[in-house]
Amino acid sequence: MTALPKRHMIRYNRGETRAAWICLLPSVIGLVCITYIPMIASFTLSLFNWNGLGEMKYIGLDNYIRLFTRDTKFYGSLLTTLEYACLSVIGSIIYSMIIAMLLNRKVPARGFFRAVFYLPYVLPVLAVYLGWKWLFDYNHGLFNYLIKLNGGTSVKFLDSSTMVTPSLALIAVWLSGNLIVIFLAGLQNVPRTYHEAAEIDGANAWHRFWKITIPCMTPIIFYNLLMSLVTNLQVITPALSLTQGGPGTGSYFMCYMLYTQAFKSHKYGYGSAIAVILFLIIAVFTGILFATSKGWIFYEGDEKE
Amino acid sequence: MKKLLAIVLCLALMLPVIALAEGDGRVHITYSFWGDQTEFESVQKVLDEYNQMQDKVFVEPMQIPNEQYTETLVNYAIADQLPDCGMVNENSVLFFARNGVMADVSDMYAGEELQPMDCITFKDDGTPVGYSSCNEILIMYYNKDMFDAAGEPYPSADKPYTWDEFVEVAKRLTFDEAGKHPGEDGFNPEKIVQYGAFVNNWTWQMEVWALSNGGAWFSDDGKQCLINSPEAIESIQKVADLALVEHVAPLNVIPEDNGVGVGIGSKTVAMTTDGTWRLGTDFPNLDINYGIAPLPMMKENVTLCTSGLTGVFKGKHQQEAYDFVKWYTREESNWESLVLTGIWLPKSEYYYKTEEGISKWLGNEKYPYNKDMETGKKVLVEYTMNNAKPACWYYTPNTQITTNEILFTALQSVWSGERTAEDVINEIYPDLCEAILID
Repeated sequence: MTALPKRHMIRYNRGETRAAWICLLPSVIGLVCITYIPMIASFTLSLFNWNGLGEMKYIGLDNYIRLFTRDTKFYGSLLTTLEYACLSVIGSIIYSMIIAMLLNRKVPARGFFRAVFYLPYVLPVLAVYLGWKWLFDYNHGLFNYLIKLNGGTSVKFLDSSTMVTPSLALIAVWLSGNLIVIFLAGLQNVPRTYHEAAEIDGANAWHRFWKITIPCMTPIIFYNLLMSLVTNLQVITPALSLTQGGPGTGSYFMCYMLYTQAFKSHKYGYGSAIAVILFLIIAVFTGILFATSKGWIFYEGDEKE
Repeated sequence: MKKLLAIVLCLALMLPVIALAEGDGRVHITYSFWGDQTEFESVQKVLDEYNQMQDKVFVEPMQIPNEQYTETLVNYAIADQLPDCGMVNENSVLFFARNGVMADVSDMYAGEELQPMDCITFKDDGTPVGYSSCNEILIMYYNKDMFDAAGEPYPSADKPYTWDEFVEVAKRLTFDEAGKHPGEDGFNPEKIVQYGAFVNNWTWQMEVWALSNGGAWFSDDGKQCLINSPEAIESIQKVADLALVEHVAPLNVIPEDNGVGVGIGSKTVAMTTDGTWRLGTDFPNLDINYGIAPLPMMKENVTLCTSGLTGVFKGKHQQEAYDFVKWYTREESNWESLVLTGIWLPKSEYYYKTEEGISKWLGNEKYPYNKDMETGKKVLVEYTMNNAKPACWYYTPNTQITTNEILFTALQSVWSGERTAEDVINEIYPDLCEAILID
């Protein structure tokens, strides 16, 4: 009596396993071929000196040693990347949270405004940067025109090594329409009953925001923080399309450095070493986020007190 | 039924492949180039002509975006898929040649009537490795209407401005909202409405000012970096000071490879320096009454000559590619599309040294600068013959690292006024010295 269903079960499982494998196979092949093998290749390459055409020379850790001890631009690049990531992650989280909260209220033409704030995210990114270039331009830009109209002196938005990172981070904040949508979805899932109960107990809007909205939103905030951090540490487009790395190392992001070293200067080994370092930095930051997440993320179904 | 349909569809998909592989008895070679759709069409026209005039070789175009051109070629080389021939960016010619990718073309013009100028011959350690497809030099363009409005005489075609004269003229052509010029009481540099000058600070073009100031970037054998000489440093600072100190030029911290676009193309600048290709690529589309003149000079009257190369890559169709390139890079093959449009200056001495040769292009009614042949002769012909020196990538290895990467980023701090040229150059000098020695 018992043997039959068991065998049936195994067969059923086998079939299911096979189906799972077949379905997973394309993505596994993709991951292995497009992500893992290149990652290993990149690490291996970072131990070589190779210009793409000539002989590959094994040089051990020389690329790394050079990067940390002799490269005049590496630390500048590292700091610029961290500064940019910090500003744009914090900026876009706060900005999109505020916009999402506003859009979550019963404002007139809500659908229209939602589209308006999401629009930057779907625009072709190069066009966006060219538009901002015109706004930021020192000689003829709109921002400086307005500043001069009000008697101020022109600001070097993209033309000074201290201003360029915040200016580019501002564009990143403006572009964060995708975060708004995710926040909005999260806000709509905050149970109304909590708010109603708190209201009856006499909590004002501020208290409700801190004690109900934010705790309920922590998983979403965590997700957005993580995605935003990873994306922004890998920033390259503004440097490619707007500033070409300068002035100084003001927009010489690590990804841009990697790209110019490997593909423009044909130093593939050196570029790979930068890629490995960038990977480790992202891994460390992601690790920190995950390690601290238990302390501040609130899951509704969680059994923990 | 469905299966049959699938098989038919698959076969249909393969048709183009079969058509391509079909033996037409000709050797198919590929020619790679960068450029936009207009350039694609003009290249295709020239290829069609070649494909029709003989029946042994069929040349197919391979268009690669300009921005990724060299890296794409390197990737093809890694995969052993290089085209048979193609354009090569100036800064990468020696890189490809030294790594054994390019075929030897040093005998391409041996015994020919038309000899390419020495100025545009790429040399690795003194040995010719290739010839540019055309010639281009740096000159000065000016807006005649702006000069007329200021009551200023036009720049001379044979006697260039000294640097001080250039700055003085530029000051007279610069004014703010109140009509005040730099140096006058009450001049407000924040409210400039017209600038006098713009010197294209795209990195490689800056080399001409070092030469003009009696210095150089690299030694003639391409083995030594001389950019830290006082003359070379001063020349960079002088160009930066046009905007920072003299207030006669717009600030241009992130250089773009288009002095005309930034300069007189926007009609806010009266004089600008740039390459001669702008005669064909930009000015026909600009509604400007413009003139041409030699570059202002610091100490020496000098300009740079440069142009990309059409290279033959090593491979099994090397000979066919060689023959095609030899035909393709003759002025005559691109006469209508590139020479008479003003995009190319001829590369053979014949077109500079003989009256007959000069009148063929400069005297042609289609040539963009034909209205004033005397000026054209002085600025385009004599200036090339007497004052042009090859840009550093003709003889210095690894300019894709030195000029394109290291200098480009570093000089931005000079253009923005945050650091002095001396400070920046001294900091990057060891890197530059090391970079030119990389094999």
